[in-house]
Amino acid sequence: MKFSWFHLMPYRWLPPDFRERYHSVWVDIPNRLYDPVKGHQLYNEYLDMLEYADQMGFDAVGVNEHHQNGYGMMPSPNLMAAALARRCPNASLLVLGNSIALYNPPVRVAEEFAMLDVISGGRLIAGFPVGTSMDINYCYGQNPATVRDKYREAHDLIIKAWAEREPFAWNGKYTKLRYVNLWPQPIQKPHPPIWIPGLGSLETWDFCAEHGYNYSYLSFSGYKRAQKMMDGYWERLAARGLEQNPYAGAFFQQVCISDTDASCEREWWPHVDYFFNKCLHLYPGTSSAPGYVSEASMRAGIVAQVGNTSLNMGQNKSWKELIEQRYIVAGSPATVRQQLEELARSLRVGHLALGCHIGSSPIELTNRSTYLFATQVMPHLRPIWSEYEDHWSPKPLPAEQRAVPGAQAEAARRAAERPAAA
Amino acid sequence: MSAPRSRVIPLGAGRPTVEVLDAGEGAPLFFLHGAGGVPAWDGALPLLAREYHVYAPLLPGFGRSTGLEHLEDQLDLVLHCFDVMEALDLQRPYVLGESMGGWMAAEMAALRPRDIGRLALAAPVGLWRDEAPVADMFGMMPHELVPYLFHDQSCLAAQGLQAVTTLFSEKDDRTQEQVEFLISLVRGFRTAAKFLFPIPENGLEKRLPRIKAPTLVVWGTEDRFVQPLYARIFGEKIPGARVHMIENAGHLVGLERPAPYAEAVARFGRGG
Repeated sequence: MKFSWFHLMPYRWLPPDFRERYHSVWVDIPNRLYDPVKGHQLYNEYLDMLEYADQMGFDAVGVNEHHQNGYGMMPSPNLMAAALARRCPNASLLVLGNSIALYNPPVRVAEEFAMLDVISGGRLIAGFPVGTSMDINYCYGQNPATVRDKYREAHDLIIKAWAEREPFAWNGKYTKLRYVNLWPQPIQKPHPPIWIPGLGSLETWDFCAEHGYNYSYLSFSGYKRAQKMMDGYWERLAARGLEQNPYAGAFFQQVCISDTDASCEREWWPHVDYFFNKCLHLYPGTSSAPGYVSEASMRAGIVAQVGNTSLNMGQNKSWKELIEQRYIVAGSPATVRQQLEELARSLRVGHLALGCHIGSSPIELTNRSTYLFATQVMPHLRPIWSEYEDHWSPKPLPAEQRAVPGAQAEAARRAAERPAAA
Repeated sequence: MSAPRSRVIPLGAGRPTVEVLDAGEGAPLFFLHGAGGVPAWDGALPLLAREYHVYAPLLPGFGRSTGLEHLEDQLDLVLHCFDVMEALDLQRPYVLGESMGGWMAAEMAALRPRDIGRLALAAPVGLWRDEAPVADMFGMMPHELVPYLFHDQSCLAAQGLQAVTTLFSEKDDRTQEQVEFLISLVRGFRTAAKFLFPIPENGLEKRLPRIKAPTLVVWGTEDRFVQPLYARIFGEKIPGARVHMIENAGHLVGLERPAPYAEAVARFGRGG
């Protein structure tokens, strides 16, 4: 198995009465609640957590894109990935991802992802989400009736821009460019591995199956409720005669580990409570613009029936309920080992994206959890699915070709600061 | 009230297929519905059918009309309305549009001013003033939307619509029939969203002076969805337009105050 350490970057200081006083954590959350000086500390603390995960041997460090959102402070995940590229020399950069229908022209995404791949020596995983309706329709004004069509066109343009070696013209419905000519080109050929985060759309299964991409199910409701979703994807692969390679799937699970089950509850409950009951305070009126979900997906009702306004993400539950229903996987290393093995085997996923930071958890607590995972859980789970080959991880440059950030700094400084020639 | 006739007209390859409801005898009245479609032949429609032959085509996504994918932009949509008019062989008809349909009717009259005989716009969308934002029908819960549509929340039409909103709940207990009904609601809203999301304004204001048809602008004095200040702007920008306010009416004036509304539209049609 492969493990990525995935950050949402929530704001830590939503007021205690946030749920009572404010409409939603997303879209229209008043930005007077945001203090940029605290934000400065927080971004740096969060990047420190990701850098520690790199040191502890996680296969990837992960970031994602949200807009106008109190639990996701990364409108531009590419900036975070760039900050990580030079300070995390080992891990892959999992950017999950850029909502490609938002960018005009979409070659901007092809360019920035190519830059990240080149800076990092070929360590980028390129995520192409459609994006949530909150992000793409309500915050970024995309038309819900056409945005999936626009997404597909943007995808085709980016893939072609990465592949072509001559300038070409692109006469699309949504983008018209006389000269597409990508500088720089990514290191990984024909392009970095592509992962598609899905929420509840049948179309995303088919899109992944059709192109051979990794399907990443990002859910806050835990692995028990993900069974139908992942089963549906594996069935789609089987129906096309494709291998049900576990590495073609990824799953996001929030995890907290402490020395014992009891200490875990004591240490983590305030931060888990902050996440589920403040960060997931969502207004259902802007959860899905009309047309964002296809009729087939509405009819299938995989996450919830059409018309269900609960959003079904674990709000108003106790620690015990969240654990028993596996919204979170929490406890001692032994408890977490056992549950994550169950997760991996039941969902058949080879890539596990871990939410080791939850809600308001500070760096000491978070890094302890990261440490316990890396030393006492990861080695136990590592051999699962070893009979399969992972085609969905980056193929970076060999070590001898990789630049080491700062390696020449001292020699260059001495040369630059030498006395003037006589 | 008698049920209207219904027929389905294919407009040909690469174009939508249209369900058209029609009722009554007399001069034609080409009726363009709002974002809620024509769920029932009630309100002002049967009253207007006493004096006019009312034709109510449904946009793709409503009723049995299909082919939204053929209407990619606003121009396609407006030309589609002319295609339907021509398929029904209507020459320079009296066109009445409500809300979204009012916007479409105004666009038709601005695009081909000589082809619209007479125009009535009932609380049309299509303009924007920052101080009076049109309500965001795509960004609220259905039960929250209803109060924006009516002045008197206890009127039958408001109560009927509020009853529909109880299908939205925190449970997964809907019958298959109810699921299909909700999907059909979303299908209609999707059509509206295709042309009106996220802001229902796309340059109509500068086209309004092109309108040549005699025009009546009808508005409920208590419209919270598209505030009555827009009645004045439509009245000022459309040459010679007459503005008629209906007392004690909200946005869906044809459902809330059908008699005075239908009377105003019919009287204007008689040249009065």
